[in-house]
Amino acid sequence: MTDVQRRWLPLPFFAALLLLWEVAVRQSGQLTLYPYPSGVIVAAIRTIGDGSLLAATSGSLYRVLLGFLIGGLLGIPLGLLMGSLQPVNRAMSPLIDSLRSIAPIAWIPMALLWLGIRGNAALFIVAYAAFFPFVLNTTQAVRLIDRKLVNAARALGANRALVVRAVILPGSLPTILTGARISLAFAWGAIIAAELAMGIKVTQGGSGAVGLGQLMVSTLYIRRDVNGLVLYMIVVGVISLLIDLVMRRLQHNLTPWR
Amino acid sequence: MNGAQNSAAPLPMAARAVGSWPRYLRHFEFVLALAVVVGVWQMVSTTVNNKTMVPPPLLVLQAWISLWSETLPSDIAASLVHLGLGYGLGIATGLLLALLAARFALVEVLVDPVVEILRPISAIAWIPIAILMFGIGRGVPIFLIFYAAIFPVFINTLSGIKQVDPRLVQAAHMLGASRRMIVTHVVMPAALPIILAGARLSLGVSWMAMVAAELTGADSGLGWRIFWYQEFFAMDKVMAVILTIGVLGYIFDSLLRFVQAHITRWSPDGAEADR
Repeated sequence: MTDVQRRWLPLPFFAALLLLWEVAVRQSGQLTLYPYPSGVIVAAIRTIGDGSLLAATSGSLYRVLLGFLIGGLLGIPLGLLMGSLQPVNRAMSPLIDSLRSIAPIAWIPMALLWLGIRGNAALFIVAYAAFFPFVLNTTQAVRLIDRKLVNAARALGANRALVVRAVILPGSLPTILTGARISLAFAWGAIIAAELAMGIKVTQGGSGAVGLGQLMVSTLYIRRDVNGLVLYMIVVGVISLLIDLVMRRLQHNLTPWR
Repeated sequence: MNGAQNSAAPLPMAARAVGSWPRYLRHFEFVLALAVVVGVWQMVSTTVNNKTMVPPPLLVLQAWISLWSETLPSDIAASLVHLGLGYGLGIATGLLLALLAARFALVEVLVDPVVEILRPISAIAWIPIAILMFGIGRGVPIFLIFYAAIFPVFINTLSGIKQVDPRLVQAAHMLGASRRMIVTHVVMPAALPIILAGARLSLGVSWMAMVAAELTGADSGLGWRIFWYQEFFAMDKVMAVILTIGVLGYIFDSLLRFVQAHITRWSPDGAEADR
């Protein structure tokens, strides 16, 4: 198979698939039960037009970024500690591993109890999800720093502070940034899960914080608009692609020597 | 990364610290850390002095023990059924698709873009549609686990097969091995460590998808039980179920890590591929 075929074959394939989908749903005559491509486009125009999509997306993104920052502020120092002190690492890593195995979303009843429904509960879930990749990658980053570089710096008269600033931090930055990328991706998955669970399970006074997840729930149970649901799924996917793209670009710019 | 793998890696920064720490104390480090965590938990609980807001550790332990004779066994069984079916189907589908894509270029050209489009849409985003398709019940968690499990194993299997050193294949071919024999004796063993790493990644995301799906769209399982107890404000039991989810997740990951390390002991990839 030639390169040209490789590149252009998927296009007609997808076009045919979409067309088949549209025709099949229209033939079945149950336009409210099944989503179809043109309906998704109509839903996109409507929700972008009335601003509800943008408001919900920015609400979710805001909480993701905040939770991501909290996760990093807690996770990076712990990772530095675990990476440089072996007893700390041996003591903490089973704890970290078992806490990590608790799906962040499982904490939602406790988070609702502690922080209330107005967005802060979701924030807790997001920070929890973002915390662990930061810890693991920072620990790994510090452990993998070439000891010879540290020795060389010390032999040349660098003091502890300079070694940390000039050798350890730049040396571990690429791996920490990889951790940040994973964290942000986890955080984005966690916010959708948290908002969905809050939207589905908390019915009284639940209209406080609005995010993409709550919008999905109201689309499912109140508007019963399947095309809208597919649209929101696509938005979730596009944003995780953008997150990955931005983080990779950031990693490339911050650590050009890699 | 676990301790066993790390101990084989160079330990530059840690080298000093190890020597200064008596050997017999090392086994107690984890116990010490656990004691500190439980101690802090107890302190917070005593300060707040509200058994619903922060149930004290002992109460949660009691709740956990009593749950074993109440709902816990059936909840674990229900979750394991969800996980077993969803993960089994997902792994099988991912593996099959990857093998077909590796064998037939046309399959790869058509399946790969579909995977790249669907992969960023996390399993969780499918929850509303899954509820619509299957209704509240077993279908939602099984579908979500299935969906989550496909991608890591597909991607790792395909790249694992592609990474096999062509010289090995050529050497086997030259020595008269049949195509079938090359696949079973050269390609599969060489790709196995990366495939296993993919299976482990799949299990991790499946576990998360399972909890999320059971919380929102199921009528059984550990995740569902969390909200069930929350409606009675039995927070000690909620905590007990949450901790059970953590412990089980940890056990599953350790099991797969053990399998991974032992089946592919000969390969440096076995230790490295899970990054």
